[in-house]
Amino acid sequence: MNLFRSEEHTAHWLRTNGYEPGATMPLRQLGELAVAWWADRLDPGWRPHTREQNQALLEAVGLTGPFWKLP
Amino acid sequence: MDEHDRELRNRIYAQLVELGRVPTIEETGADDESLRRLHDEHALVLEPDGSAIRMLSPFSGVPTPYRVEAAGRSWFGNCVWDALGIPAALGVDGHVSATCLDCGETLEVDVIAGRPEPDDLVAHFLLPAGRWWDDIVFT
Repeated sequence: MNLFRSEEHTAHWLRTNGYEPGATMPLRQLGELAVAWWADRLDPGWRPHTREQNQALLEAVGLTGPFWKLP
Repeated sequence: MDEHDRELRNRIYAQLVELGRVPTIEETGADDESLRRLHDEHALVLEPDGSAIRMLSPFSGVPTPYRVEAAGRSWFGNCVWDALGIPAALGVDGHVSATCLDCGETLEVDVIAGRPEPDDLVAHFLLPAGRWWDDIVFT
């Protein structure tokens, strides 16, 4: 997952490198996802998330649909 | 993940915080078989030859374009998502220095109480979630 100045810069980079567009989101939304996904990572009692837990974390920040479906 | 692997995984993460960096294989004191199991369970990512820990997500074992200042230390995130995850994991505010992959402009981002500022920059996911672990280093 990469960071760009703007959607125009993202589109230019995709075109230049011959990649099909994936999914773009504002950094604000990625910040919400980062807190939800990573905040427990250093907890001494950490346990692995289930696939269902992780899917719920994606959905909670508005990431739904086939692109965001975990295997 | 069984209890042995979970304890080993948690011990390695505790070492990361103590050392301020991803520990070496030797420093973990773990045997190759246990580390390989953690790799297969996606609890960490080994280099292909097993000689080092490449990712202890969200932390990177190698320098990347995503440098993070947090808790008085410098870290590297594996990607922009992970870079924002480092202050979140440490439970502190932080600062991410990165570059726009297109134009190379330096992008400086403060992370205050989990919120990136400026928040109008753009993150792009090239691969759908179902393919993230096909090649996690590329992802």
